[in-house]
Amino acid sequence: MTAALAGTSVLTTSMPWFSIFNNPAAAGNGPSDRVRVGVIGVGSRGRTLLLNLQELSESLNVEIAAVCDTWEDHYQRAIELTEGKAEAFYDYREMIDQVELDAVVIATPLHEHAHQTVDCLNAGLHVFCEKAMARHLDEVKDMYDAHKDSGNILLVGHQRLFNPVYLQAMEKIERGDIGPITMLRGWWHRNTAWVFYDDTGGRGTDLDRLRNWRFYDEFSAGMLTELGSHHFQVANWVLGNQPISVMGSGSINHFDDGREVYDNFALVFKYPKDIHFSYDCITSNRHNGMQVQVLGNDGTIELESNMWFEEFPDDPPSIEDLILSMMEQENEDIPIGGATWIPDGPIRLGGKYLSPEYTMNDTLLYLEGFINFVRKGEAPQKLTDEGYHASIWTLLAEEATKTGQEVFLPEDFII
Amino acid sequence: MNTRFHIIIPGIDDESGDRLFGAVKQEVNRIENKLSRFIPDSDVAMLNKKAANESVRADDEFFEIINACRVCWDITEGAFDPTLRPLMEYWKSRSEVDETDEKLNGIKDNIGMGKVQIDSELKTIQFDSDGLEIDLGGFGKGYALEKVKYMLKDASVKSAFISFGESSILALGEHPAGGSWKIGMNDYLNPGHSLHRFYVSGGSVSTSSNFFVSDNGRLKNHRHVIDPRIGQPVERCCSVSVSAESPVLAEMLSTAFLVSSDEVIYEVMNQYDHLEVIKVDYESGQGIVTEFEQKEADPMVQEDN
Repeated sequence: MTAALAGTSVLTTSMPWFSIFNNPAAAGNGPSDRVRVGVIGVGSRGRTLLLNLQELSESLNVEIAAVCDTWEDHYQRAIELTEGKAEAFYDYREMIDQVELDAVVIATPLHEHAHQTVDCLNAGLHVFCEKAMARHLDEVKDMYDAHKDSGNILLVGHQRLFNPVYLQAMEKIERGDIGPITMLRGWWHRNTAWVFYDDTGGRGTDLDRLRNWRFYDEFSAGMLTELGSHHFQVANWVLGNQPISVMGSGSINHFDDGREVYDNFALVFKYPKDIHFSYDCITSNRHNGMQVQVLGNDGTIELESNMWFEEFPDDPPSIEDLILSMMEQENEDIPIGGATWIPDGPIRLGGKYLSPEYTMNDTLLYLEGFINFVRKGEAPQKLTDEGYHASIWTLLAEEATKTGQEVFLPEDFII
Repeated sequence: MNTRFHIIIPGIDDESGDRLFGAVKQEVNRIENKLSRFIPDSDVAMLNKKAANESVRADDEFFEIINACRVCWDITEGAFDPTLRPLMEYWKSRSEVDETDEKLNGIKDNIGMGKVQIDSELKTIQFDSDGLEIDLGGFGKGYALEKVKYMLKDASVKSAFISFGESSILALGEHPAGGSWKIGMNDYLNPGHSLHRFYVSGGSVSTSSNFFVSDNGRLKNHRHVIDPRIGQPVERCCSVSVSAESPVLAEMLSTAFLVSSDEVIYEVMNQYDHLEVIKVDYESGQGIVTEFEQKEADPMVQEDN
């Protein structure tokens, strides 16, 4: 629980999940009150999630009761990280059969998410699944349906949903501080070959397909699912809507090493109220870094850098008087000089900080929320829907880049 | 630089205005990135980090800046001194003067522009002591306006009014209604009224004060001006405004004159043409203005020079 979240008037319509911090589940300290979690997939992201869960273990009475990874290195690492206290498995089915759990955290390669999530939900477990939800549209829908049918929680790892900077930005937007939103712009630019494991024998080998799965069409849509989906979720959230359509184009432009996914793409999402969201991604130039800009008629919010900029900050009266004197062609003495004006709060390059808490660990907050929801047995539906729509539109964006067509949401996937 | 910037160019066309404003903004940001001690990899921050242990090679621009500070320190007999920050920090947490405080005396011994060694041939800078730190707060805005002045001239702008936080003003050409720009000095005890008026065309006005103003506050003594002669903050609520052709000269001199004796002010005024100086003392509850007239040069002084 952080100061930024504690003092905030929660916007119940756009962010009902934040109320969990003002109204957490009652948690006893006894073993019977303990939330027992299994972690499926302890790769780079899974390790982070596991470490964050461990941070919550005392304050929230949560236990990592089981860990699972098919790869020996990660299997052993999971045992080490949990000091042998968690039961370790190579097969998640055995894990959920043999260990009494309340919830699972899934951080496996994208193409594994769907069947693992569906199996866990149907086994009576609550699920926190890393983004994006799945490799194919029907799998995303299957996961969603399993969540609805089982009544168990399904949350998707778009951790910005729990970021204080985003919370403050949403409040600002809802208050009308930046005026009506007219456009969103976003990008994720890196300069990296994006190779997670370089001892696989190169692109195309079986080992590379297994380890560097992000490069292969069968397993991933590359930067679209692994990076862009975060920002597509943000756009939906900020605009309170899903897109009407998406257009786009993609290419393998620089890292033509046998990978099957784009290293270069650009998209345009059309939203209701004639708003566009343009988004592009490359891994061959990092000058622009990553960003989502919300452009309003009265201001700009840069979500990834915690900044907002006023379009028309109030001029001091003396400047207004000077301009008036110029318009009226009267050269008057205007008391315009003097001691240095300083702002009331900190500013940086013409902008102001959205939130004083800049380096917040939103993954930790999200998991804190998840554990509380598990204890209560339910989570706000809107939170699951955010994950669903982001994942659906990520895959529709992929279709747009592959076909060059304007892509709309098929009726089957309307929820 | 933690303040606001206004630029008004009468009659400029839309497209040129956008381009020029973009270029000016970029240049001001560039200067901030070079001169701000708050930006970790700025030239100033790097100098402060290293120069006590090694001689630091400065690029041409930064070297000229430090050199200009040194020259101004010289001609103002030490009144302009960008090394006083450690004293400022010391006084932030204290109000009583204790001349025997070893910490205070230690700081005093370790600062001063005289302890900044400048090698004009190698273009290197080195500090003689550990406790030294350069703070270009009394320089940066004027320097930025100096650069903007050349950019505007380069863009064939004939008339412009630029205010950098109200304390540094550049006025080029004439007011659209004709005649010099009439730059009033705001009376903070009676806001919206001018205590004095400078007539400026192709020049600048810089104000230094030992208080700042913000939208929700009245004037506030921030104890941020140190009198190097005694090593203590200027407690008397006052300001100095200097009008000069060069914005950076106006900036440095206004900083210096806030702590200079009248004699030093007159001496400096004799060395430059077209300088106008006023001091405003707010201590009595109203702004009392003292105007410094540029005197005919004393023959003896001229000979000395």
